[in-house]
Amino acid sequence: MSDPKIDGFELKPGFRGMASDTGSDQTMFKGVHWGKAMMWIFLLSDTFVFSCFLIAYMKGRGSTPVEWPNPSEVFALEAFGVPVPLLLIALMTFVLITSSGTMALAVKYGYEKNRKMCGWLVLATAIGGLTFVGMQAYEWSKLIHEGVRPWENPFGAAQFGSFFFMITGFHGTHVSIGVIFLFIYAYKVFAGHYENGGKRGWFTTMKGDYVEIEILGLYWHFVDLVWVFIFAFFYLW
Amino acid sequence: MDDTNQINEKDKKSQESTHKIGIYLWIWGLLFVLSFFSYMVDWYQFQGMLRWSLILFFMFAKAGLIMAFFMHLFWERYALVNVLLWPMTAIACFVFLMAAEFEYTLFSRMFYFFVGGGV
Amino acid sequence: MSDEYENKSGYQAQSSEALTGSAGSTPDMDYVRPAELPEQDLYHGHTFLTKWVFCQDAKVIGVQYFLTAVFTGIVGLILSWLMRLQLGFPGLAGFITAEHYYQFVTMHGMIMVVYFLTALFLGGFGNYLIPLMVGARDMVFPYVNMLSFWMFFVAVAVLMASFFVPGGPTGAGWTLYPPQTILEGTPGSGMGILLMLVSLALFVIGFTMGGLNYMITVLQARTRGMTLMRMPLTVWGIFTATVLAMLAFPALLVSAIMMTLDKVIGTSFFMPTILKAGEVLEYGGGSPILFQHLFWFFGHPEVYIVALPAFGIVSDLISVHARKNIFGYRMMVWAIVGIGALSFFVWAHHMYVSGMNPWFGFFFATTTLIIAVPTAMKVYNWILTLWRGNIRINTVMLWCLGFIVTFVNGGITGIFLGNVSVDVPLSDTYFVVAHFHMVMGIAPVMVIMGAVYHWFPLITGRLLNETLGKWHFWATFLGAYSIYFPMHYLGFIGVPRRYYEMYDSPYMTSAVGMNEFISLAAFLVGAAQFILIFNIIKTLKTGKPSPKNPWKANSLEWHTSTQPPEHGNFGERLPVVHRWPYDFSVPGAKDDFIPQTTPPSEVAHTKVEKT
Ligand code: HEM
Ligand SMILES: [Cu+2]
Repeated sequence: MSDPKIDGFELKPGFRGMASDTGSDQTMFKGVHWGKAMMWIFLLSDTFVFSCFLIAYMKGRGSTPVEWPNPSEVFALEAFGVPVPLLLIALMTFVLITSSGTMALAVKYGYEKNRKMCGWLVLATAIGGLTFVGMQAYEWSKLIHEGVRPWENPFGAAQFGSFFFMITGFHGTHVSIGVIFLFIYAYKVFAGHYENGGKRGWFTTMKGDYVEIEILGLYWHFVDLVWVFIFAFFYLW
Repeated sequence: MDDTNQINEKDKKSQESTHKIGIYLWIWGLLFVLSFFSYMVDWYQFQGMLRWSLILFFMFAKAGLIMAFFMHLFWERYALVNVLLWPMTAIACFVFLMAAEFEYTLFSRMFYFFVGGGV
Repeated sequence: MSDEYENKSGYQAQSSEALTGSAGSTPDMDYVRPAELPEQDLYHGHTFLTKWVFCQDAKVIGVQYFLTAVFTGIVGLILSWLMRLQLGFPGLAGFITAEHYYQFVTMHGMIMVVYFLTALFLGGFGNYLIPLMVGARDMVFPYVNMLSFWMFFVAVAVLMASFFVPGGPTGAGWTLYPPQTILEGTPGSGMGILLMLVSLALFVIGFTMGGLNYMITVLQARTRGMTLMRMPLTVWGIFTATVLAMLAFPALLVSAIMMTLDKVIGTSFFMPTILKAGEVLEYGGGSPILFQHLFWFFGHPEVYIVALPAFGIVSDLISVHARKNIFGYRMMVWAIVGIGALSFFVWAHHMYVSGMNPWFGFFFATTTLIIAVPTAMKVYNWILTLWRGNIRINTVMLWCLGFIVTFVNGGITGIFLGNVSVDVPLSDTYFVVAHFHMVMGIAPVMVIMGAVYHWFPLITGRLLNETLGKWHFWATFLGAYSIYFPMHYLGFIGVPRRYYEMYDSPYMTSAVGMNEFISLAAFLVGAAQFILIFNIIKTLKTGKPSPKNPWKANSLEWHTSTQPPEHGNFGERLPVVHRWPYDFSVPGAKDDFIPQTTPPSEVAHTKVEKT
């Protein structure tokens, strides 16, 4: 994690550190595990994917002369007989942030080699993610029930449904993949694959290490991060 | 090369440097509060520039907290942080230009389809 | 061999006191700090399948990429022959209908840009050379690397399958502009375009797996003493191109997904309201220009994804074969990085006539002309590297010189096109075709050829035949010039690109003879490539065995334990690097080259650069 100590190399702080790290031999990101560096770069690339989706959405929504449906009405949910705007979305946000918190703690306990705590927290994260996917499925089915389709909808511009299903679908796919991996990794933590020097993986000679939990955590937080932007641009605009 | 030695050293090091649980709980709490506020923006139906600045402010605040603390960027060395953040200028440029572009597309649609192209 | 790499204060001998408490003692001039990471364990395959098919050795993967890319390149070449057949001699080959012609143009463009050049430079040369040149045992994630190739392979298979589906491959032009791409009436608007989009998506996924490997290997797995500023420019070029690809391919992926949805489930992301034969289609409200923005946000960086590795490789080849250090190494590096960064801010110079916001012309013309500055700096540096060098006019050098000439030519026409007022009449004419073939067609291919002649001994242990090589070069160079130089003129007189036939239009009169000439040259150049294939086969059978390091180069790939290098590259111990790879003809040195592994104490009396 932070503050690696490296033989024969002085780690300077701040921008001077940046210059000397970059100018050094062997590694540029000092003390950063290969897999973690790889996940970061992948997430950077994935950021560009989601940015392109959202930019397309902005261009599509901004240039339509047809009225855009009001999200605060479309996504309202009846609670105790009164329509509450964005209720489901608020709950989904709540669930996703909760799972992000448990993930952050799982990483912390992983580094402390607290197998039990780490395992339970990864499992809790997985269950949070699963809940989110379930709620999204409910939201989709509700909208479909009301007649919203990717190619048309009763509330206004047809692009509303197109962008909504595409972008939340793509995000939901990310969440689902994350959930699958969370379950796998919860198993791996409980089974002790990261203890005692680590177990060799499949078709590779790399040994398991708790850093894998941090890598998984990066992915999961990223999914949460994307939701922050989707929440702002889709539901609040 | 003696790598058992190195692994042991690594273990010690990482144990020393995990962060206190308090910081995570704080950030967690802040995220809930910020999400609640951004929800309130819709609840009170703020409109116009106020709405946009609030939405964007809460959005970037939340994104910043997640990246800085949950994803540990705050503790990473600048070499990594910079590599991750500079490419965002390309996205920012794309966003600004497409914002200008949709205005123009909308203008030309209105002008040619509804006004009649000035004929 | 391991002694060769041992220096007086190797890692083992290094005590921690020497590191910290060296206040009084004189610092050891050969000191290189110890390794940060333990040695990489490699998975050694034992069966035929794990050794040659699902192989995890980057060198084998590189060759696999290379061969697959060359296969697609040959398909692209055959398509270009068919196109030239139609253009030069309309109606001669009756089976080439207008529909077929459009399909040939489209598939030729897409294959050459993405599946041939990109895959060849990044997948082929990147895989083979990066680990060797930075002193790593392999890519950092060999298993993912292997998956990357097979994903690419599937992408190619899907692309090729589109030739055989009902309706044939897509004929929408390699830019795939909607709405016509997916409307009936465009050739291949059914299965053809769908397979194209799927194939592109697979390519992006496969490339992402490879690209992560290339990037992390360069950033995190260099050997001791290998700083970024000691890397060969080849690595810099491929690395920067990979960064561009990682950030640009997302836009392609997104536009492919959106277009697939438009096609398959009837959304209207890119589809405006369309009247067809008096009837309004289902589509409506979408924005075709959005696609163009997304496509070129990918497309312009893509042209530099092809160009930057070529820049890097040619710098190394020129330096080695002119026995001179590269002029302005740091400037070269910053130019590569600068061009890479700027290439994300120029994309709409492809869209001057698209009906975008008219103010954009100003912005994009400015950025486009700015990007020409670092590009020109690189050209000057190549020329200054050659200046008073000990130039060896061998095949490799010929290809390099050919590259410089064609690249300058294409770069200058690029500046024409970057100016809005000049571009408007020239856009969509043969002038543009001439520009991008000069700069992206032949120039990088020249580098590839040079690189093949240069690194063939490393990969196979045999030297290609020089006489055949020179014939190959002159036929290709003169032929390619005869093809593309006249095209500038065709563009000036207004001959539009992507036209099946000019019929009786006024252009006919002055363009007919020229078109015939171009076509004949095209057949010749295509055929000349078989000289290379013949040369390769002949060399593999009876060629001269190459001595170790035949060109007397400095970079690490020539200083491996065996030649060709084995799995793990460097034998027992990884090399330790003390200098950049360009110490040629150093005054006072006993040889005219000083390998990167030579410690300073051995060359203390020479006037060697401090790097
Ligand atoms: C000196 C710097 C360059 C400038 C100023 C420049 C400028 C331009 C402009 C303005 C166009 C659009 C022409 C039109 O469609 O009307 C264009 C097209 C093109 N350029 Fe360049 N260019 C430069 C270098 C390059 C390089 C290095 C490559 C590739 C290696 C390249 C590849 C292409 C391609 C492939 C097209 C045509 C795409 C198409 O419409 O199918 N250019 N260039
Ligand atoms: Cu361009």
